Amino acid sequence: MSRIFVTGVGIISAIGNSLNENHASLLNGKCGISYVNNFPSKYASELPFGAIQTGNDALKDKLGISNPSVTRTTLLAIHAANDAVEDAALTKDELTSADTAFIGATTVGGMCLTDELYRDANENYKESPYLSSYDCASVFLYLQEYYHLNGIIDTINTACSSSANAIMYGARLIKNGLAKRAIVGGADSLSKFTINGFNALHILSDEVCTPFDEGRKGLNLGEGAAFLVLEKEEDVAGKKIYAEVTGYHNTSDAFHPSSLSDNGEGPFLSMQGALRSAQLQPNDIDFINAHGTGTENNDEAESRAMIRIFNTPPPFASTKSNTGHTLGAAGAIESVYSILSIVNQEIYPGLHFTKPIQATGLEPVVVAKQIPVNHVMSNSFGFGGNCTSLIFSKA
Amino acid sequence: MLYIHEASCISPQQTFSTIDLEHVTDPVDNKLHVAEPAYGGIPKNMLRRMGKAVRIGVGASLPLLDKISSLNGFIIGTANGGMEESILFLKQIIAYDEGVLTPGSFVQSTANATAAQLSLLTGNRGYNITHVHRGLAFENAVIDAAMMVNENKGTSYLLGGIDDISNYNYKLDYMDGWYKEEEIDGQSFYSTNSAGSIAGEGAAIFLVNDHAQNALAKVKAIKTLHSADPDLIKRAFEGFIKEQQVDLSSCIFLSGENGDSRLLPFYTSCEEILGTDITIARFKHLCGEYPTASAFALWLSCQLLNRLQMPEHMIKKHGSAKQPSSILIYNNHKNAQHSFMLIES
Repeated sequence: MSRIFVTGVGIISAIGNSLNENHASLLNGKCGISYVNNFPSKYASELPFGAIQTGNDALKDKLGISNPSVTRTTLLAIHAANDAVEDAALTKDELTSADTAFIGATTVGGMCLTDELYRDANENYKESPYLSSYDCASVFLYLQEYYHLNGIIDTINTACSSSANAIMYGARLIKNGLAKRAIVGGADSLSKFTINGFNALHILSDEVCTPFDEGRKGLNLGEGAAFLVLEKEEDVAGKKIYAEVTGYHNTSDAFHPSSLSDNGEGPFLSMQGALRSAQLQPNDIDFINAHGTGTENNDEAESRAMIRIFNTPPPFASTKSNTGHTLGAAGAIESVYSILSIVNQEIYPGLHFTKPIQATGLEPVVVAKQIPVNHVMSNSFGFGGNCTSLIFSKA
Repeated sequence: MLYIHEASCISPQQTFSTIDLEHVTDPVDNKLHVAEPAYGGIPKNMLRRMGKAVRIGVGASLPLLDKISSLNGFIIGTANGGMEESILFLKQIIAYDEGVLTPGSFVQSTANATAAQLSLLTGNRGYNITHVHRGLAFENAVIDAAMMVNENKGTSYLLGGIDDISNYNYKLDYMDGWYKEEEIDGQSFYSTNSAGSIAGEGAAIFLVNDHAQNALAKVKAIKTLHSADPDLIKRAFEGFIKEQQVDLSSCIFLSGENGDSRLLPFYTSCEEILGTDITIARFKHLCGEYPTASAFALWLSCQLLNRLQMPEHMIKKHGSAKQPSSILIYNNHKNAQHSFMLIES
């Protein structure tokens, strides 16, 4: 089966609207988590979020989109996907070819329009422009039309590991000969729905999140999108190559609908499986972009799983302290950060860390550093026990 | 190649435990609701928390779980799975003005809840994924399963297509013109000559792997397309038949025709290229229209290629073959998402 390379990336997050802005923010330890204005939830003024400061009108202007049914999730997806496609220099023919797959992930989809959904369904508001905009698929069905795509198109929702699975699925489509190239990633926007959901679970912090810190109080929700262009070895001659997708593994924790098992069995198995599929040993991994949400449960379970696999884990950190937890976009955003580590031979710090978790004693990287980076692991764990680990390697 | 060894289905018809498709349940208020069984195998405390999509998905899986000793994961396609729970939570948000809310329905509202509950129920730490690409959610699950058994020889998976009718998705799709204005009875379903269909729901679950021996059926090929152009679909269908060298004389064309006059040209233009020997049959009067209805068609194919005699009410045109050796399924979702599947015995 072919080797798979990343030939283009695009990203928009709370720490930047482009790859360069995100890179600069990671190096400078910029935190994009703050209070948001003009957001229709009472928690907007009470809790901090990793919001993108560019509003919907500005995004629509920039992207030249006037269709009223397009949601913020879709706008973020197009913003990042445009950058990825341009970065990989895909021609229009390549983009519209039947062997170009597009695999998107989202958990919120059009539900970012929480109040509108309630109105439309209860008031029989037939004039609503959003009648077919609420489901997850609406995002990538719009992108299919926008780019005139003709290959395999899919939307994946495995909660917070969704876009890690989109990357894995795209890579597998190419390896199985069902696509020549794949555009893969995810998008999610802040929504009243998810804010209230996570708040009801008591896992939102009222302060900026502190992943892997003994005193962590929970996560901050964020929004964003990121896409990668994947191509196979035979097709990348003369192209810019960011990294190779060498390992991936998807597993279920099979423990609880909304929390991880104490010893992190699912995370352990997904990391172990990713190493096996990359044919690497634990000590080959130079850096781990951890799931690291900042919740009591995740960070301790993930730490235990890392200790079980690595004994002494390699340098690790969670960039959710920069961006907030972007749910269905997180796996793709953090894959882009993993790739930046490989390209620039540097690792980026976790922010706001002061004291290790007593039970595990692990300390994340706290300052940006230049080190040799050959292999980076990126972890994504979701509700329902959906755990996926990816490994990117220096090409 | 993907081989199907077991198939289980909860649908509006008698398809679970005892199969009887001669006696057809007609729609009520343009909806075909599933006939839910008693769910003996689901612990009561789990059952109470499950939304309908999860309940029928897990319920249809149970008979298959009993028959296998090792399973390597769950691959589910669902467009609306979790919608009902989403709405319950949304109502809480509005009713309590974002106050103190109970998280149960939020946790169950994610589309991956069925695959998650199945892994919990069985303690299965294998592959676990949920495809939600609306009218191609199940097809992507099929493609995924076919890749899994190709990559990991000797492994087995539960593959499923699950969707339910919730008040919200019915209302939104109704306002968007996808369900009929006038009330339809079972008899006139295909001859209404008006826009829209009737709503349906169901869960069809399959045990799949790469063993040819004793299989019920095999999914020989699958193709998905996005288009609003009947000619393009017709040409693609022609190409699919040629590429797969389908013997049309011993084949059934299982058409996703759904009584919507806007979608009919897609189905009739595909029928035009099939010749006179083929049997043309329809199934949406049995399951209604829903995004993963192709999973019901696949379940039906497994029956037709084995023990089930084709009921007369399914037949649009009689063909020459006494015993079919293959089934061609074409499904069109909302004039935008299309799939062809070739199923062989």
